[in-house]
Order: sequence, then C-alpha cells, then structure tokens
Amino acid sequence: MYHFDWVLFWKYLWPVTAFQNPLIRNGLIVTLVVSVIAQAMGVILGLLAALAKMSKIAPLRWLQQAYVWFFRGTPLLVQMALLYYGLGVTHIFDFPDWHIGAVTITGAIQAGVLALGINEGAYMAEIVRAGIEAIDVGQMEAAKSLGMTFGTAMRRIILPQAAKVIIPPLGNEFNNMMKTTTLMTIISAGELFYGFEQVNALLFKPFELYLDASIYYLAMTTVWSFIQSKIEASLGEHKAMANQPGLFRRLLGVH
Amino acid sequence: MATIIAPPTPVMDNNVVVKFDHVNKYFGALHVLNDVNLEVKKNETLVIIGPSGSGKSTLLRSINHLENINSGHIYVNGRMIGYYEKNGRLYEESEKNISRLRASIGMVFQRFNLFPHLTALENIMEAPLNVLKVPRETAKADAVRLLQRVGLADKSDNYPSQLSGGQQQRIAIARALAMKPSLMLFDEPTSALDPEMIGEVLDVMKELALGLEMTMVVVSHEMGFARAAADRIIFVDDGRIIEENTPEEIYDHPREARTKEFLSKILH
Repeated sequence: MYHFDWVLFWKYLWPVTAFQNPLIRNGLIVTLVVSVIAQAMGVILGLLAALAKMSKIAPLRWLQQAYVWFFRGTPLLVQMALLYYGLGVTHIFDFPDWHIGAVTITGAIQAGVLALGINEGAYMAEIVRAGIEAIDVGQMEAAKSLGMTFGTAMRRIILPQAAKVIIPPLGNEFNNMMKTTTLMTIISAGELFYGFEQVNALLFKPFELYLDASIYYLAMTTVWSFIQSKIEASLGEHKAMANQPGLFRRLLGVH
Repeated sequence: MATIIAPPTPVMDNNVVVKFDHVNKYFGALHVLNDVNLEVKKNETLVIIGPSGSGKSTLLRSINHLENINSGHIYVNGRMIGYYEKNGRLYEESEKNISRLRASIGMVFQRFNLFPHLTALENIMEAPLNVLKVPRETAKADAVRLLQRVGLADKSDNYPSQLSGGQQQRIAIARALAMKPSLMLFDEPTSALDPEMIGEVLDVMKELALGLEMTMVVVSHEMGFARAAADRIIFVDDGRIIEENTPEEIYDHPREARTKEFLSKILH
C-alpha cells in the first residue's frame, strides 16, 4: 500500500515552508505575472483583430483571418515550442535574458508570454467582436450624426457599452489563462508547475506534490472568481444582469 | 472670343440649405431613390410623407450621408455631401470631412438612440466636448439650458433607461441641438412613442420650427404637426417625389391618385 507522505504534502502546501524553495516562490510569481501580461496582450490583440475584421480594407481582413485561422487551428503547445526553439535556432530572435535590476526575465518566459498572448488574442478577437456587435447599430448612427469619427464613436460610445458584454467572458478567459501557463513547462520557463516538477524530479513524490500544485491553482482560480463576481456586480449598476450565473454555480459548473 | 468659366460646383442660391440634384440609389435591384430633385429653403420646414418602403427615410438619411447614393449630387449649404468630384468622377469623401459636415446637421431618430451609459446631461454634452472641443463648463451650461428648453431640467442626472419614451426623444432633440445645427433631420420621431407621449415631442418640434432660425426636414405622418408647422409637404412613393404642395393643399385637395389613396389610409 502507498504510504502518503503527509509531512512533505504539508511542507509544499503551506506557503511559509513551500516558499523557502525559490522554484515554488518564483514559480508562483511567474505564473501570476505572466497570466496578467499575456491576458492584457490578448485583449489588445483581440481588439485590433476585431476592428480589422470589421474594416473596409480587405488586406486587413485577410490578415485577421490568417491570424485567427493559424492560432486557433494549431495547438498552443506547438506554437510555444515553434516560437521559442524555432525563432532561436534560425536566429530570427534569440530570446536573450533581460536583466532589470535584481530581476531576470529569461528568454523562455518572454517566449511563453508572447505565445500565450498572441494565442489569446485570436480567441479574444471573437469575444470583442461579439461585444461590439451586441451594441445596437443606432448607437453608431447617432454618434456619426453628431459628427463623431469612427474612432471617437468607438472609444466614447461603442466600447464602453461593449465592455459590459466583453468583461464576463474575459474573466473566464483569465481563469483559463492561469491554468494554461502550465504549458510553459515545455520550454522550462520556470512557472509554478515547473517548480513542482523540479521538486518532484528530486524527491519523486508525484502524488503529494502534484496534489499541492492542484491546490495552488484551485486557490488562484477561486480567488479570481470572487474578484470577477465583484467586478461584474459593479458593472451591473445600470443594467440588470439577472441571466449571469452566480459565483457558486460558476465555481461548481452547474447550470 | 468669349471666355467661358465653368464653376466648380453649380451656382446655388444662398437661401437653399438642402439640394438634391438627380439623385439615384439602388438596394440591389430595388430603385430606392429614383431621380430625386428637391430643394429645401432656409428656415423652411419640409415634411416628407409616404408609405413604408417608399424611400422617405432613405431620402432623409442620405442628407447626412448615413446612406450613400449611386448617382447625382446632394448639397447642404452649398457643399456636396459624402462625395467630392475630380475629373468628372465622384469619390467618397474622407471620414474626417464627412464627420465635419455631419456635425452641423442635427438628427433625431425613431428609436431615440440615446447613449445608455451616459446620463441625460452627459448625452447632451458628449458631442460638444468630443467633437467641437468646447470647454466642459460651457458644454455643461449649454446642456442645462437645453434641458430646460425641452422641459426636462429635473432629469439631468437620469439615465435613458429611467426615462419615458417621450422624455428620451426630447433629450435626443436637445442632444442634436447642442451642436448648434442649422439643419435638423427627424426620422419618424414619434412612431415609436405611446400615443400619450407624442404631443410633448411634437410641441418641442413645433416650437423649433416656428420660433428659431431652423431648417427642418421631417419624416412624419403627424398631420397636426404638419398643418401647424410645415411650409411644404412632399409625398414620396417608389423612390419618387409624387406630389409637392402646402399642407392645406396636400391634405384637403390632393391631386395625384396615389396621394389620395395613401391619405385615405392614414387619415382613416
């Protein structure tokens, strides 16, 4: 019978002791920072792609189509490896480590953020487009008839309204993003799961350690779900959002 | 030898605010605007009537280039709308220039189209602030004055969803007036309203038509308004202007059979 190592389990679960191992502490920081930056990149790229899709300029629409087609049609894991090893070996971009003060951003982290962000943009494009298209065409007509250019109308009238439609799925995307960062393990980018893998390589306690890793991710996604429902509640001030599932239902995935 | 100087654009009467010159528009095979020629004079109130699908809304919306046209010219205050001419060919104007022209033309929609994320006051201030770059204090003072003028001074901090249809439409009129337009377009402004709210909107429009210096083009079947405020009525059907006359003549002595038939339907 398997002897469950409770001491090890607790050691790598309790932050005070777990963080004594820099692989775990830095791994958690990398996971959180990478998630936020990659998601922000995804939102910006998604917005640009959504605008390109609605553009009158045909080459912009083709570019958007090619982008979405490639990044939604190939596995993120492959994109990440292609970006890091492919660009490295061809010397198109070597991903040198960046040193900012005492912090080192390794090439693998840069490649990871880039791959996650670009991939996310291809998915955010659809979410942003759906948000913009949910706004009545009369809003754009009213804005134009007041002399607003397309850009001003988007910024002042359409996007503030579309944000209410975009933010709930955006929150779900961020929840996924925190979990998807684990793919960076393939390029040894040193995020949280990579930390647990390294510890496991040394101690070979996969059950205890991967259970700890699971609990860390569960903690992150749960905290985020609370933050998300607060954000959505504040958005609902002027508009009832009765059809949005509550926090409990969302966490447990019941409908 | 006589020197012939061709004017770059047709010489226009200063009193003509809107001019349609052989305007045609197609939606696929459908001829929505069929050789439309029309002039609207300064301070005139023109009412457009016609059955649904007759092209009356398209006609109105082409004045501020919310609809493009396939041939002909539309001028507002002597300037061609939506297009510029080069070597005898028409090209669509840059977005910036179209926006600049639209800023001087007010428009009121059937479904109000107020901005739901902004209060009544903010709705009115939005375009003066972001298009005309008016200082905030000036924009606010103007907006407050306009709210008083449409009788809604106490609603300045309300969001559109908290207002009745009639109130929303009055705010929409105030929002258009905030740009100090010389020309106002109304696209069936009372058709989406409950009957008891139509009067309050028409009152504001009447005051506008009769009181101030304002040129108005109104698509509406409200006969009471037309009789009280319109200088001229045009009846549009199948994309053509069928009949054109004073309200009294059109309503009491329509000449064309199609006008008679249409009026008998809307006047019961």
